[in-house]
Amino acid sequence: MRFALTLLYRNLIIARADARYTFIRTVLQPAIYLLVFGLVVGRLMPNGAGGYGAIVAPGIIAISVVSAPLIAISSYLLTGYYFRTMEEWLLAPVSLRTVFLSMVFAGLCSSLVNALLVGGLAWAILGLVPQSPGLLLAVVSGGGLLFSLLVMLVLLIPERPEKGQELFALLMMVMTFLGCTFYSLEMLDEPLRSLALLLPTTYVSEGLRAAYLPAGPHLAVRPLLLGLGLVTLALYPAAAWAFRRRLGHFTW
Amino acid sequence: MTAIKIEALTLGYPNGRIAVRELSLSISRGEIFGLLGLNGAGKSSLIKAISTLLRPHLGSIQVLGMDTRQQAARIKRRIGVVPQENNLDTRLDIRQNLLFHCRYAGMPERLAAARVEHWLQRLNLQGHTEESIFRLSGGTKRKIMLAKAFLTDPELLILDEPSAGLDPGVRDVLWEQIRQFRQCGGTVFLSTHYLEEAEELCDRIGVLHQGSLAGMTRPADGLRLESGLDVAEFFRQAVEPAPCVSP
Repeated sequence: MRFALTLLYRNLIIARADARYTFIRTVLQPAIYLLVFGLVVGRLMPNGAGGYGAIVAPGIIAISVVSAPLIAISSYLLTGYYFRTMEEWLLAPVSLRTVFLSMVFAGLCSSLVNALLVGGLAWAILGLVPQSPGLLLAVVSGGGLLFSLLVMLVLLIPERPEKGQELFALLMMVMTFLGCTFYSLEMLDEPLRSLALLLPTTYVSEGLRAAYLPAGPHLAVRPLLLGLGLVTLALYPAAAWAFRRRLGHFTW
Repeated sequence: MTAIKIEALTLGYPNGRIAVRELSLSISRGEIFGLLGLNGAGKSSLIKAISTLLRPHLGSIQVLGMDTRQQAARIKRRIGVVPQENNLDTRLDIRQNLLFHCRYAGMPERLAAARVEHWLQRLNLQGHTEESIFRLSGGTKRKIMLAKAFLTDPELLILDEPSAGLDPGVRDVLWEQIRQFRQCGGTVFLSTHYLEEAEELCDRIGVLHQGSLAGMTRPADGLRLESGLDVAEFFRQAVEPAPCVSP
């Protein structure tokens, strides 16, 4: 745990040193999304003032939650690859598994922090408050963990992590636009609906909609949480394998 | 007492290239052992394997009585490593690099701060502590790497070409620190390109060629291998192009 906290503290120091960039990425960018899509577009939509805002805001929080692990984990893997810092971490007197879990933990923490910040912005701009904080925490934690493992897997499969980062950026674009972030699953017809159900962003966005507006349209909570849990369970051994394969026999 | 025991070690890479072939070697505690070899001889791969970063394909490595495959974390707690290439965290300054190195090793904050101050002073780095790693000279970066290796109070120091590219002043500082470390009972495993460095520092010298141990010698024996060949002569022959044969 001490190693995980130290690694996390390192990211905090870097975020503080890059305060302007951190602010733009974590606060300004989602605030603009919430203002434009939540407030302006929300008022233009036929289903009443704020109606679309309540649907899109959880989706914007979801984008923030699922993209945070990419920033956190790729910072370790890219710095680790290009400046050989990975060697420093692998030489620390901890097991390879501890290094892996510490980086996943950093990804999860960044998702939680982003959810808190963008959730705060949604309250400040749109007056949205989660009706079910427990569900919110479960969905953000599940989504953060799932995407931390996914980032680890995708970045470590190619020989160089930046190739994986490019691949992940492409996946994120598909998952953002087709994964029910800017609309609810109920608004989709087949075959887009079935396609959306294959994307993890759908479960995070719909889960957050369920947490913010239980009476609004969203996927049923139990299958949603089960889906998030099962995909996370399936990803864990795959991501751990990719980490072991690439870094257990360290040839970078 | 043995510090490093390597038995029938073969190291390979995922692309199938064999870096080290059936190598056996034993290094005593308190000894400074030097490994000489040309580029690509397998020195860095061997050093990575001893540091637990590379898994042996065949054979075994025992470091301070522990197997590198089974007890990697415990071994890492007792060694200090200077790899061939610097692995400094470019997002942190000098002091933060050293402090984080201690914290990754689980050292309490106060002890870490005291040790960092001690090594900053000892290696004459106090003037630069808040400078970005990008702005430092190669020699200063190497000194920080050396400080990192010493910070956790290791029993065994593993150095991969520590003086490559250093000016004579920094190299003298490095040699002095190595000698003092040995005087306190430490063991050193050192790889180098420089015959002069091996002769100056080491008790025993192994010559690694194409992944195999080609011979052993001591500075006291005038750097003559068991075969009777001088080490310098051995390397001259190794790099000489093959004679042209007319068709």
